[in-house]
Amino acid sequence: MSIRDGGFIDELRSTENSRIGLYALLLAGIAFYLFPVETAVMTMFKTESAFARTLPFAPPGTDGFTLDALTTAWNTLRPGLVNSLLMAIPATIVSALLGSMTAYGLTTISWRGQVGVVVLIIAGIFIPYQAVLVPLAQFWFQVLPGLLNGFVNTVFGFITGGNWQYPSRNGYVQLLQLSITHAAYGIPICTLLFRSYYQSISDEMIEAARLDGASAFSIYRNIILPLSLPMFAVTLIYQFTQVYNDLLFALVLVNEPASQVATQRLAALTGGVVQSFNTTMAGAIVAALPTLLVYIMFGEQFAKGVAGE
Amino acid sequence: MAQLTLDEVTKTFQDDDGEIIAVDEVSVDIEDGEFLCVVGPSGCGKSTTLRMIAGLEDITRGEIRLDGQIINDQPPARRNVAMVFQSYALYPHMTVRENMAFGLEESTDMPDDEINERVEKACKDMGIFELIDRKPGELSGGQQQRVALGRAIVRDPEVFLMDEPLANLDAKLKAEMRTELQELQQDLDVTTVYVTHDQTEAMTMSDRIAILNDGVLQQCATPLECYHEPNNLFVAGFIGEPSMNFFPTTLEGSTLKGEWFEYELSDETVAAVEGTSDITLGIRPEDIEFVQSDVGPNVFDSTVHVVEPRGNENTAHLQFDESMDEQFIATVGGMKQLKAGQHVKIRFPENAIHLFDTSSGSAIRNRTLDEIETVESVV
Repeated sequence: MSIRDGGFIDELRSTENSRIGLYALLLAGIAFYLFPVETAVMTMFKTESAFARTLPFAPPGTDGFTLDALTTAWNTLRPGLVNSLLMAIPATIVSALLGSMTAYGLTTISWRGQVGVVVLIIAGIFIPYQAVLVPLAQFWFQVLPGLLNGFVNTVFGFITGGNWQYPSRNGYVQLLQLSITHAAYGIPICTLLFRSYYQSISDEMIEAARLDGASAFSIYRNIILPLSLPMFAVTLIYQFTQVYNDLLFALVLVNEPASQVATQRLAALTGGVVQSFNTTMAGAIVAALPTLLVYIMFGEQFAKGVAGE
Repeated sequence: MAQLTLDEVTKTFQDDDGEIIAVDEVSVDIEDGEFLCVVGPSGCGKSTTLRMIAGLEDITRGEIRLDGQIINDQPPARRNVAMVFQSYALYPHMTVRENMAFGLEESTDMPDDEINERVEKACKDMGIFELIDRKPGELSGGQQQRVALGRAIVRDPEVFLMDEPLANLDAKLKAEMRTELQELQQDLDVTTVYVTHDQTEAMTMSDRIAILNDGVLQQCATPLECYHEPNNLFVAGFIGEPSMNFFPTTLEGSTLKGEWFEYELSDETVAAVEGTSDITLGIRPEDIEFVQSDVGPNVFDSTVHVVEPRGNENTAHLQFDESMDEQFIATVGGMKQLKAGQHVKIRFPENAIHLFDTSSGSAIRNRTLDEIETVESVV
């Protein structure tokens, strides 16, 4: 009896020890990852002189506390944030939706030559952005306006009198162009993510739906789409982060100051001759807010999607 | 209500090594309301045949007719067939009600309340009404099976196609569902094609059995015909558990000379097998008699190697001689005890033996059925 009891207590003890170890490790992990964030948050509430006086991660004293940096950052970034959201949300949704449809067409429906299309799409993932910058800019600023001007002025010439000009200097048009570009560049990776997910869906279920009389689109709409919600969370988060954080395409495609996106404004905020760390940190935090919110909102679905439930 | 005809239906697949014939000119007429089981070892083409009827596979050659109409090129939805899959293939995100209504919503323009009425009626018939608003994930295997059946029933199809629907159930539930399915099919009187590798299912449920091997139809007959009058060696060996014992022999005069025994044939039988010299003798385990002394011809000495008691019967693995590599099997009633190592005398009654042409495999003479008795009904 006593031996059994001793064994039980030992067991309990060893469980507790391993638990303590686990929590210690987790806490260390949290501290490691949150330390830079904490430093940034502390820095953005400090005056320049307080920043110079104190350790980066120490909280500002009462005399060193200021909201000026945050206000400056917020005022500089705010129009950029709106532009970024206007551009990134449609781009994200469109690329996820098109990626999902493409993946469906490439897995569940069988037709000749689909392997070739899959190979092309996968190759699309590996095209470096830098390699397409020049053709991309030429397309949006020369090729497309040229084509559209010609088309509109020929067909609707009786209205335009041949004077219509594609509004390539309009800020919203530039944002739209950026959004379309991101949506297009997001399709390959979204397709790949959805494709691997759809390959795990039972063929018999799709066949059952076909026997039930469902058309290819109805199967997508009623069976595939509801089942891919966790995967949508994954692609939406991933794609939103990618599009929102991009600076390269924005620099090339958006040159109207009013239409600049958050990353462009952030670059402007930090790019001065004098480094003011508090506004830089404030800007970084403000710019990161939307992605943070997206992660919090879709976190649970994201975990499910990644775990492949 | 429909008659389904398969007319020389052939399916070939292209492979790196050339053409693979999965189903080879299979012709079967399935009568209206008939329950046909398609059995065979795995890879024999039985599922492919079913999928061709469903429209999930193209037909390479031949015709499938439903009530005289060729349906080769009809899409699955237009064929008016419902299929039950081995994995049940329920839609996991839909409730039982939605699962069952989906087919009606997609393939008919029936109003919602009528769909609902039919779904609820089918649920009541299947005894799953209390589960109607649950999702498949919350149901047990047996319950999911019922939903899958209900989904087929609610469509009120001309033909039911079932692809090993009971394969994923445990033994007890399987036996229960077997009876239930049979009753259901009789009540609904819908032509049914049922694919299985389980010959017990085939024997107990079907009106007729179609036995496939390597894509070729071996025999299509009632369960008892397949059992007692097999067309060939394959059917004889496939139907029946434990399976028939086979002994290769050569015919010399009126004697079948085997490696271990010599079997004396009657004149009548000799006349029937005339012209074939290489003959395989087959006898079912339950037809082997244990005798006390050399009563008449064809009594052989043998040794009991292993005994498997099953309660209702005992299965004895026998050897003619210690040096015999393979054993043959005899079954005796459960009340008859045998011991391993025992020396016994066994008799192969001539009316119970099957004789096959060894080279072609086809049956030359099947057992006689003179001894079949019927239980008279009591008035």
